[in-house]
Amino acid sequence: MTEAWILVYDQEAGTALTRSARALADRVVAVSLGAGALATADLTLTVDVAPGTLVEAYARPVAALLAERGATLVLAGADVRGRLLAGQVAAHLGVSPVDVAGVVQASPLVVTHPAYGGVAVVTEEVTAPVAVLVVAAGAPGPAATPPVSGSSAVEASALEPEPGLVLVETRAKSGEQVNLASATRVVGVGRGFGAEADLDLARAVAAKLGAELACSRPIAEGVGWMPAERYVGVSGATIAPDLYLAVGISGQVQHLVGVRGAKVVVAINKDKNAPIFAHADLGVVGDLYEVLPALVAAL
Amino acid sequence: MRIVACIKAAPEDQDIHVAPDRTLDLSRAAWKVGAYDLNAVEAGRRLVDEVGGELVGLSMGGEALAATKLRKDVLSRGLDRLVVVAGDPAGDALQTATALAAAVNEIGDVDLVLLGAGSADRYAQQVGTVLGALLGRPTLNAVDHLEVQRDHVRVERLLEDGVQVVDVPLPAVLAVTSGINTPRIAGMKDILAAGKKPVLEVTPPVGAPAATTRTVSVLAPEQKDRGRVLVEGTATEVAQQLAQFLKAL
Repeated sequence: MTEAWILVYDQEAGTALTRSARALADRVVAVSLGAGALATADLTLTVDVAPGTLVEAYARPVAALLAERGATLVLAGADVRGRLLAGQVAAHLGVSPVDVAGVVQASPLVVTHPAYGGVAVVTEEVTAPVAVLVVAAGAPGPAATPPVSGSSAVEASALEPEPGLVLVETRAKSGEQVNLASATRVVGVGRGFGAEADLDLARAVAAKLGAELACSRPIAEGVGWMPAERYVGVSGATIAPDLYLAVGISGQVQHLVGVRGAKVVVAINKDKNAPIFAHADLGVVGDLYEVLPALVAAL
Repeated sequence: MRIVACIKAAPEDQDIHVAPDRTLDLSRAAWKVGAYDLNAVEAGRRLVDEVGGELVGLSMGGEALAATKLRKDVLSRGLDRLVVVAGDPAGDALQTATALAAAVNEIGDVDLVLLGAGSADRYAQQVGTVLGALLGRPTLNAVDHLEVQRDHVRVERLLEDGVQVVDVPLPAVLAVTSGINTPRIAGMKDILAAGKKPVLEVTPPVGAPAATTRTVSVLAPEQKDRGRVLVEGTATEVAQQLAQFLKAL
């Protein structure tokens, strides 16, 4: 029987990670750092996290625990904390963490991840005795798989954090919360917009369609018209909505890699030769400044 | 304070040619320092300007690192000197971090190691996390703001749903976000000065760790079959067609 270990510090993310783990193994054991027992796991080792301590301070003792229990397959989420935890646990186990955007097969384990800004997909087989995977949301397999409940046994595990980092405070993020990954319709904006105020044209269409607004990298990291959470692309969000409407986006691979999972792609661009049209189900050649207001009127 | 900024040269992805069989031709791609690495260089420069000390660039890689143009480019962005370690740029995070850790120890008395969010080629964002563990130093990623306060650095770390304020004792390893600063654009004076800055080549450590994975293939992603219907006409006409299409979804 194969066994997967998951590193958890949040109930919701932990449940999603169990789902990924179940696609690779029959039995799932969670190491829960301050997040309590996980109902979807077969066994949870609960670790109390002292106040003012980061979950990552447990990387070394968690690695020691995994080694002692003979873990050969370990999964962490591809969020900021998951990456640090996985990287450090892997290093302490003497292996490299493996970035996983997709799983080709479970045994032997073959995974994929993008490279060169989305120009390429690397397929690789994990050959090390221990696999520490950093798993993107929804990989492997469809995110809609019904959650399988485990036997949810619980065992308390006393681990000592490493001293050093001191968590002074945690603040809520300023500004709005965005979850593009769960949006069913998304309108993406790019460099075709000449001024920040013009984005209202796209907002009006998004409002009509009940869509979330997203953008390409230059809009978020170049001119800063939108927060980084709305940036879709290789180093931003990866989305899989039912509809992606790209407006004024030329279609660089770096952006396209983030919307590959969209069911339907529609593009509006004034350049007939824009690469986006080769990746769209429906392409509209036209000036967004004329087409968007007309579209709002027609919807 | 002595700060090391880690940088990686990678082929410019705009220049990568994709053949119909999805194989890649990298031969015409120019090698450049990753855009995110420049955030680490800039953050290091600002700290050194503020508290004094030295900013050392550190890079592991192959032939590309021998190019004068690339060396001058990165030196012109604010480094005081550059240390280069020979190694395989396609190595995994553990292999890369092992070489960087040996170089950091050889440079000596390093108070802070900075890295960018991720490399331009793999963007696995893992070299910093592994490097910190190998060096046995406090380590954080996603650092969006940092400030030196006597013997420690106070950082703001950008999580998906919040911001952590963390005190990090020195020496430490920190990976910064792409939003922490806007890297400077080198002027003619900086480029001329860069040619005179020292570059040191250090020998890689013996006995590199075994690779964690075996590469099966590196190919362009499979094209999803899209409708590729193009409509043209007046704004009103195309908007009507588009609205009809969208309503039918």
